[in-house]
Amino acid sequence: MPKTETETPKMKPRPIVRLGIFLISHSLLVSVVCCTAGVLALLLLPLLAKNTYISENALMPGSASSMISNRDISEANRLASDLNGLNFKPQDSAAVESRRILTKYMSDLGAEVSYHKFHYKPNQFHPLHFFSSPDSTSSVKNLSCSAHGVNTVGIIRAPSGDGKEAIVLVTPYKFGKSGAAETLSLSIAYTVFSLLSRVTWLAKDIIWFVADSQYGEYAPVEAWLRDYHTPVFTGLGTLNADRCVKIDDPYVFEQKSIAQRKISDGFRRAGTMAAALILKVADRNAMLEDTLNIYAEASNGQMPNLDLINIVNYLAVHRQGLRVKVEKVLTLLDSRWLEILGQIFELLGKAARSLNPGWKFGISAADYIEGSATLASSLYYQALGIPTGPHGAFRDFQVDAITLEISPKVSPHNKARHNEFLLRGGRLVEGVIRSINNLLEKFHQSFFLYMLTSPSKFVSVGVYMIAFALLVAPLPLVAASLYADANQLDLGVKNTKSTPTATASDELDITFRSWKWLYAAKEVFLIHVWGAAVSLLPYFICQIPNCSPTSSSVIWVFLSMLSLLILYLIVGSPSTHVYISQSKEKGEWAILKSATISAVFIGLLVMSVVNFAAAEIGALLLVPMCLMAQPLKLDMKAGKLRSFLRIICNVVLGFIAFPPAAFFVVKTIFEGFNSINMGDFWNWMESLWAWNSATYIYIGMVHLPCWVLCLHILLHSC
Amino acid sequence: MEKKKKRGFWRWLIASVMLRLILIYLPKTFNLASRPEVSTPLVSLRRLAEGYWLKQSSISPYAGSMYHGSPLLLSLLGPLTVKRIEGQPNHLLCSLVFVIADIISALLIRATGHTLQMAYRQSLNSLDIVDILKSSDLLSSGDIAALVYLWNPFTIAACVGLSTSPVENLVVILALHGACKGLVPLAAFGWVMATHLSLYPAILIIPVILLLGYGPDTPPRKLFLQKGYGKNGDSHSSDNCGQQETNQSKAEVTFSWRPVIHFLFWSSLWSTYVLVLCSISVKPHGSLWEMFQRTYGFILTMEDMSPNIGVLWYFFAEVFDFFRSFFMIVFHLNILFMILPLAIRLKHRPCFLAFIYIAISSMLKSYPSVGDSALYLGLLGLFLDELADMKFSFFLLCGYIGVSLLSPVMHNLWIWRGTGNANFYYATGMAYACLQIILVVESVSAVLNHDRKLRKISVTKPRDGNS
Repeated sequence: MPKTETETPKMKPRPIVRLGIFLISHSLLVSVVCCTAGVLALLLLPLLAKNTYISENALMPGSASSMISNRDISEANRLASDLNGLNFKPQDSAAVESRRILTKYMSDLGAEVSYHKFHYKPNQFHPLHFFSSPDSTSSVKNLSCSAHGVNTVGIIRAPSGDGKEAIVLVTPYKFGKSGAAETLSLSIAYTVFSLLSRVTWLAKDIIWFVADSQYGEYAPVEAWLRDYHTPVFTGLGTLNADRCVKIDDPYVFEQKSIAQRKISDGFRRAGTMAAALILKVADRNAMLEDTLNIYAEASNGQMPNLDLINIVNYLAVHRQGLRVKVEKVLTLLDSRWLEILGQIFELLGKAARSLNPGWKFGISAADYIEGSATLASSLYYQALGIPTGPHGAFRDFQVDAITLEISPKVSPHNKARHNEFLLRGGRLVEGVIRSINNLLEKFHQSFFLYMLTSPSKFVSVGVYMIAFALLVAPLPLVAASLYADANQLDLGVKNTKSTPTATASDELDITFRSWKWLYAAKEVFLIHVWGAAVSLLPYFICQIPNCSPTSSSVIWVFLSMLSLLILYLIVGSPSTHVYISQSKEKGEWAILKSATISAVFIGLLVMSVVNFAAAEIGALLLVPMCLMAQPLKLDMKAGKLRSFLRIICNVVLGFIAFPPAAFFVVKTIFEGFNSINMGDFWNWMESLWAWNSATYIYIGMVHLPCWVLCLHILLHSC
Repeated sequence: MEKKKKRGFWRWLIASVMLRLILIYLPKTFNLASRPEVSTPLVSLRRLAEGYWLKQSSISPYAGSMYHGSPLLLSLLGPLTVKRIEGQPNHLLCSLVFVIADIISALLIRATGHTLQMAYRQSLNSLDIVDILKSSDLLSSGDIAALVYLWNPFTIAACVGLSTSPVENLVVILALHGACKGLVPLAAFGWVMATHLSLYPAILIIPVILLLGYGPDTPPRKLFLQKGYGKNGDSHSSDNCGQQETNQSKAEVTFSWRPVIHFLFWSSLWSTYVLVLCSISVKPHGSLWEMFQRTYGFILTMEDMSPNIGVLWYFFAEVFDFFRSFFMIVFHLNILFMILPLAIRLKHRPCFLAFIYIAISSMLKSYPSVGDSALYLGLLGLFLDELADMKFSFFLLCGYIGVSLLSPVMHNLWIWRGTGNANFYYATGMAYACLQIILVVESVSAVLNHDRKLRKISVTKPRDGNS
């Protein structure tokens, strides 16, 4: 070997390359620092929350005085008493009659009224639904005629508008078997509706949609929205939909003869929807004042534009004096460690302020606890990917919508309070509609990606992304460093000079070294295919009749294990396959770990775009485990304190990161040990796939396979 | 062993066909045909069906900027788009055509790979350094390349997603195969058809001519010369065989003009033929000029700026109108700029050169789709021996997987959810372009390193032998 060639002076790499190499070679330190910082940043989020502000100037909430008069309220009361009068009749006739009354009242106001029939079909798991775009929903087939409902839609045309835009007001109502609270929500909506039929400032059409909520509140809204957005060009579609309603036709005709005016059986449309409000009245609460609950989470963690929540919050608090609430995890409110943490942050904030009064850092411990309980709930509901109300259906059509649930402090039977409550609710809705009416474009000014820490505080995407980014940042670094170690690549930092030998066998070794990862990649790929198969299994388990959740979950677990076993038998343990002799002790499992970490990184990255909250929670579970994983056998051999600690950490993390285990641990913490039931996990997963949540795919195709791979590394025989 | 390997290949091939058929028969929920990654304005079958419908109703198929493909493809595939078989998925016949095109492409790649490997082994034999090729006893690069082509998710998506790119890929591969085997008329036909269908393969004329002139890929020519001199220096003792080899290797260096002249003759013949057929096909409703305008003009002027996985659409949507033609020229010259340097540096490996050209043009073309990537990724497998120690291979795989998952998600975020915007989607397009650049750079440097290694071995070998 000529000496001149081996001793060529090494070129100094560019600074950015050197920085990369430095980070990779210190990956252990970097990953510890980054992970800790990531968790800390998550805990800091309630502190970093900003106050909400109205971002769109055109909205101008509360700038006009309310116009609701006593006449509207007395009309609404008349409607309510008419509806309540039907409560003694048998249910079917009461439903028909109440619909007739409602129609009559609406058309008396000069609104165009139409009926919308829909067929209820329960959500079913269909494996391909996850990948289809929202408009390609399956055709109407095999509908049972028994399960159908009739929604009532009233439309007021705007006197000064061009009919291209609309605002939707939704009130769920059980025709025929409604309670007092539901009737109250109807009267609030009627109050507003009757006002809006007279006003001159209206620029957008108003649609009042009374959803027939006998099959839940979501189904009728979703069915109506789908019909609203899919124009039917031939008569075929309506024919199909009407097939079952023929029996009901007499009552439709009867109504026609009675009301005779603008009632139509066809589908009526207004323009594109600017926003939608779902109005509900809850039964009386224990609080001392009227409260307003806001629900905003739609499917896959989508949120309506923050401005919509801002208007509602602003008007409710500053104009109507309602107490606005958003969901929070109640158990967190009296958790000890959170309180300690809050106090620490409070102290830190005080210390900072004493150093420099300009630093507005830190909030009180009580605020911190409140904020983190709200944030946790926000995170959880976004991560689930299941809409928290009928507003979720609107978001699928890019319409911003929220559910307002007003709960009065007294029973609705108290007459004097009753009218005042109607007035407040009506004014709130009127104000919100008036603001949206001012809007020139779609909501676009404010945030779509945020989490609430209180009704008037939010954490925007730019801030909460930091926590996630810090958590996943070590993944590529560790993958690169493991890969480099396993391939014995010289990164220029180690002083060990390998003496090149030129024998033919070594050449071959070098030749194949750069493709050694193919086996690890194959294994990772196979396990992911297995994960996909496991997430398809419920489709078949659902077909088994009369299967309790517990037995379903047992079958599921059993089949998954069986398929994993079969996979191993067919493909063979990959370690026997490697025909390149593995002389290096760290070779194979390190490459496998590197491939696993890459898969986790890609999976988390994609998931963070689809549903951030799910990715964040997944990263909290998965990242420490992936980074820690090391064959137990190696640690056993070493027999030091450090390796012993690592074994314990690995076992604990391996247990926690298993999805059912994580589910049950969280459930135990929040609900106590007694409430645990094997079937709960099945039910939870069932709700995920029934709502087409991407979280289900994440669990089946990213989380579970990566967990199996980590276990494989732990049990690796190296 | 050999038989077993062969059977394995056929088994995998049949399995890939089965997978395609299953995907075709699945209900239309995947909606691959409407994905911007799969069907661009140039290759979408939906547009072809529209063009056929226009033609049937005696209007020019190019009316209304719907169809921008070749009129030959229109008369070939058009009748199949309207034929429906009861109870079968729509466009079943077209899908079957694409599946067959994929299989033929794979078989051609396999045959090309065998030819390349044999030729390469022969040339290494003449250099006395065969033993570095132990790897090829285990793996046949042709089989691997064919399987990579068949099982590449991009190929499957393009085949199932009703885009005409399987046919375009087939003619490109046909040209390369013909050039490798020395079948001049076939090579000319492939090249003319490929140019006619998608314009960019026109630059393949250089590798095809080099292939016909020099024969398939060899180590650098200088090596043979050195070897020849070295051998001549001390060949008095060696036997006749060595002498013959030397002669042979010397003979290989020369460029043979005969097949090239033949190629030029044949390609002019084929192109006249194609033009005549086209003019017959478009005569009743339009002219050849309109065809050129609506196909090549559409490609070169980037009229349709609907999003795709390339980098040009966003740029030309943003750029001011008076700069448009300037940047148009710059972007297209970008491809042409790289042709000459690469041709000089890699002239001893014309097949690899063709791969690099295809990769570059699929990165910079105006309407790229995953079908283009499928083609160059399939060809990548042909150079298994040369690329054995390519760097960043794992990174590239992860990058390709990541980008192909992120791209639909970003598209969904932008179009359906409305929470993202065009920048999100364009970012994945840029990442994809970067990955392709890394792939091209790394594969070229791997091949050059391989050449260096060969030179080193061939220099040291004789000394070892002497000592």
